[in-house]
Amino acid sequence: MFKFRLIGIISLFSVLFVLAACSEESTSSGSSDASSNTLEVIKDRGTLNCGVNDNLTGFGVVAPDGSFEGFDIDFCKAIAAAILGDSSKVEYTPLTASARFEALGSGEVDVLIRNTTWTASRDRDLGNDFTAPTFYDGQGMMVYADSGYDSIESMSGATVCVLQGTTTELNLDDRFTGSGIPYTPLTFETNDPLQAAFEAKQCEGWTTDKSGLASKRAGFPAASGGPEALVVLAETLSKEPLGPLTRDNDSELYDVVQWVVFGMMQAEESGITSSNVSSMAANPADPGMARLLGVGFEGGEVQDFGFGISPDFMQNVLYQVGNYGEVYDRHLVPLGLTREGSLNAQWTDGGLIYAPPFR
Amino acid sequence: MPSSLFTQFKSEDSIKKKLNLLFRNRIFRRFFIQFVFGIFLLLLFFYIVDKALNLELGFGHLSSRAGFGLSHTFIIDYNSNDSRWMGYFAGVINTIRVSLVGIVLATILGIFMGLARLSPNFLINKISTGYVEFIRNTPLLVQIIFWQLILLQLPHISKALTFGGLSVFSNKGILLPIISSNENGSLWTLILFLGLIISLILRSRLFKYKEEHVDLFSPNLISFFTFVVIAIISFFALSIKLSPSVPEVNINQYGTYIQSGGFILTPQFAAVLFALVLYTGTFITEIVRGSIQSLPKGQTEAAMALGLNSYQRITLIILPQALRSIIPPLTNQYLNLTKNSSLSVAIAYPDLFMVSRTIMNNAGHALPMFVLILITYLTLSLVISLIMNIINLRVTRIGA
Repeated sequence: MFKFRLIGIISLFSVLFVLAACSEESTSSGSSDASSNTLEVIKDRGTLNCGVNDNLTGFGVVAPDGSFEGFDIDFCKAIAAAILGDSSKVEYTPLTASARFEALGSGEVDVLIRNTTWTASRDRDLGNDFTAPTFYDGQGMMVYADSGYDSIESMSGATVCVLQGTTTELNLDDRFTGSGIPYTPLTFETNDPLQAAFEAKQCEGWTTDKSGLASKRAGFPAASGGPEALVVLAETLSKEPLGPLTRDNDSELYDVVQWVVFGMMQAEESGITSSNVSSMAANPADPGMARLLGVGFEGGEVQDFGFGISPDFMQNVLYQVGNYGEVYDRHLVPLGLTREGSLNAQWTDGGLIYAPPFR
Repeated sequence: MPSSLFTQFKSEDSIKKKLNLLFRNRIFRRFFIQFVFGIFLLLLFFYIVDKALNLELGFGHLSSRAGFGLSHTFIIDYNSNDSRWMGYFAGVINTIRVSLVGIVLATILGIFMGLARLSPNFLINKISTGYVEFIRNTPLLVQIIFWQLILLQLPHISKALTFGGLSVFSNKGILLPIISSNENGSLWTLILFLGLIISLILRSRLFKYKEEHVDLFSPNLISFFTFVVIAIISFFALSIKLSPSVPEVNINQYGTYIQSGGFILTPQFAAVLFALVLYTGTFITEIVRGSIQSLPKGQTEAAMALGLNSYQRITLIILPQALRSIIPPLTNQYLNLTKNSSLSVAIAYPDLFMVSRTIMNNAGHALPMFVLILITYLTLSLVISLIMNIINLRVTRIGA
């Protein structure tokens, strides 16, 4: 009777002891020094977990049927096509600006493609690795056309709406406080209450990346004046290179993401599109194109760069998603963001889109 | 354990028989189990401490330049060139500010509504019931955003409502006239507050002294006099100059409307305050109602028999007795209000949680930051609990 109960209690405790002791020895600390191979995890899992925006027209929005679409979304699809062969095998996780780095760092998402600016502190302090930017942007200020503001100096004493947890918040302060211009920031966590405050003219200015401003301006409701009521000031407050990022010490996935992006840029430079990729793959014009598409040139050997994925990954990417220009034209040109003369043109046209050699 | 426990053994008994006898004793069993469990807890504790020491819990990043501005700074003069510690501290002050005002207003509202629920007047009764049922059952975050949207409906500042030129109502805030002072004003307010506490303590001590010894003086007068003396001495020591401050709205050279003067109730602070006060007020209403209903009906009847009117009955008989059972749940509600103020991140009111998230986004190191947030809320809650416990002791004194 009591003996059995006693034995039961003692055995319960000893089991707990053993568990505690074992877990103490076997856990590698899980600190940021340990490296991990998310690429293998993705291949095992069969889907890519992509952290995205669901509230920025052109970059990441939810379509009426519930699917995600946008410039950043297409890069998620491209990476899934490269690793898993199917651009639809993506699990999208919408994240707010203030929650995105925690989600990436904790492993909730594999890669973060959410119009995120590459900065020194985010690279090192926050434990991320940024790939080459997919979109070179700058911070701007949007005001009402009838307010008469034409420069930052004229906004002395104004209230400015900004999102929390962004470089915009810091750049805004640098620009205003650095020049001694008094202002009041209204810092919101999401864009919806921010837009409500801006529509009610509680704040005179709205600051974020110029691409974001273009998209918000395009979607400005007619009841508050529509896009014509707003104007984006000419001044660019800061450099905002936007691109995908992975965790620190995750080199395999990082290299794949990096070279998928470069592959799409190179494909545009070489003239390969989603419509002609099959014929180009069957009959590559030069050895460079052959290496990009993962085929042999004139019957030669296929070059495998050792990414850990199938060498013809770019064929899947280009066929299912398209090259850089197609993705840009599909999502950003409708917002009015033209490439000619901007930083986002190919390097051959004077822009910054430049892919290192596939060799 | 009795010594007979061990002396009962005879040398020829086997080990098994000895153990059997030992474990039959209830006291020994209890001791044994607690001993084993105690060792287990100790090992668990050391394991946790060892793991915790491996985590990086440095706060060094909080000393670097903040780089972000805050829309609400109170008491301290914060700007983006200060350290992140100052930014965090500004957030703490904002939290304390909304919590303190919220607690006071919620209590007043709760007591009134609680009495209203017991009123024989049909309209008052139903209004109070409707208020409680409606506000209590909607989420607080929704209510905060709702109030923010309501306050957005106020007119734009160019068409602001003014009332006799004394106050300004617009969607940028409500400005009211106020007496303002030169730079040491907040310090003087603090000293006044401390002086008030000191004179109240003095008053209760003097009353006790009066009971036991001499019946010659008036403790009320003496403590009031003490308070006035403290106020006047500090007034001159800090060279305060008071002047009325009337709000005004001016247009600067670029066409921007600048508000100045007076006391500004920003829409963000107001929205958080209204939502918190209304929401917590419903719970306090129910607590007050429950406490009053738990009093024996004889009290009310006796009060009426003595000829007391209803105001005297409530303030002299009912409420003092009901306080005994109101205070503990009231403490809970105050703590809830303080912690619920962290929802203000949704509408741009920079409380401590919002500032911490900004710092975390800029500098990383989420774990030490969250430890700091937890410790801050713990401290605030413990201070509130401490004050309420002192009040509780006073009202639960038998014969109080």
